[in-house]
Amino acid sequence: MFTRKFIVVFPVILVCLYSSLMLEGLASNGDVATLAINQAEDVVASAYEAVLGAEQAGANVSSLIVQLNDAGEFLAEAHVAYRLGDFDGAIVSANQCSAIGESVESEADDLRVQVYGSRVMDSWLTVAGSLVGVVLVVFGSYWSWRVFRRRYYREVLRVKPEVAEAGS
Amino acid sequence: MFLAGSLVVVLIAAAPTLGLVVPFPRSGEGFSELWLLGPNHMAEDYPFEIGVDEEYRVFVGVGNHMGCSEYYTVCVKFRNQTEPLPDVSNSEPSPLPSVYEFRFLVVDGEAWESLFTFKLLDVSVQGDSASVSSIAMNGVACSVDSVSMWDAENDGFYYQLFFELWLYNMTSQRFHYHNRFVGIWLKLSAS
Repeated sequence: MFTRKFIVVFPVILVCLYSSLMLEGLASNGDVATLAINQAEDVVASAYEAVLGAEQAGANVSSLIVQLNDAGEFLAEAHVAYRLGDFDGAIVSANQCSAIGESVESEADDLRVQVYGSRVMDSWLTVAGSLVGVVLVVFGSYWSWRVFRRRYYREVLRVKPEVAEAGS
Repeated sequence: MFLAGSLVVVLIAAAPTLGLVVPFPRSGEGFSELWLLGPNHMAEDYPFEIGVDEEYRVFVGVGNHMGCSEYYTVCVKFRNQTEPLPDVSNSEPSPLPSVYEFRFLVVDGEAWESLFTFKLLDVSVQGDSASVSSIAMNGVACSVDSVSMWDAENDGFYYQLFFELWLYNMTSQRFHYHNRFVGIWLKLSAS
């Protein structure tokens, strides 16, 4: 008796459960797409800031910009797909955008650190070079001045005064 | 004389270090360009009289002269004759929703350009009103739902396709309208 009831009721429960899960899935798909797009927006914005940091440090960021533009295309596609109600397409595009954005951000950070290190080294070399130059110029000038002064006095002392008669 | 000469040489020797610490102000004010070219990549032959299911091409471009790399969005919007355009005097964008968009970064001193194709997909004309429901933009069918009334003075149904330039602001961490837009007028042909 119990088995027969179970055989009748169980498929009904399964169908109800499946339908409710499907409805919930459809409803939440839009939310998932919104989340994915928001996350992709944040990732691209962070990547852009990292690229800008690398650029300001003096790095060549052309290749990173090209990669980030690919991410931007995916993000634009995600927005368009979302407006058209294609939530799955929006999620796929947003995730592709996030993946590229994260990679670009990491590359930009590495590049910035690398360029910053070499720039600090260059700055030290420049400061040291300038300092050595200034010291050499100061000492060189002082030494030249002293040599000049000694020769000048020597020349002045070597000159013998001659007495000339008035009217001669 | 001797001292002055030495001072000049000292300054020359110290110039590289001074260059590291003395900030040099940027000359000029930063700006961005936004342009629209016709199908032959010239500022002529823009699509005007358009029919249903025919594809039209324009090129949209942005030039960056802001002093550093910038992150831009170009929002593509579609309006009839009465719907609002961006407010140039108040730097406000058009309140219409964007139908399509481009997102990209441009290095300072460089430009970005892209082909933009559009095709009217779903148009209905009833009496003195025409309704455009759907337009394919770069191959993507976009819903617009825009109704235009018959313009007796200019003898046609008129729409405008325009492109707004938005710029990412790092401080507010969002895009702001950059007070630039370009557009083309479109006249629905009878066919």
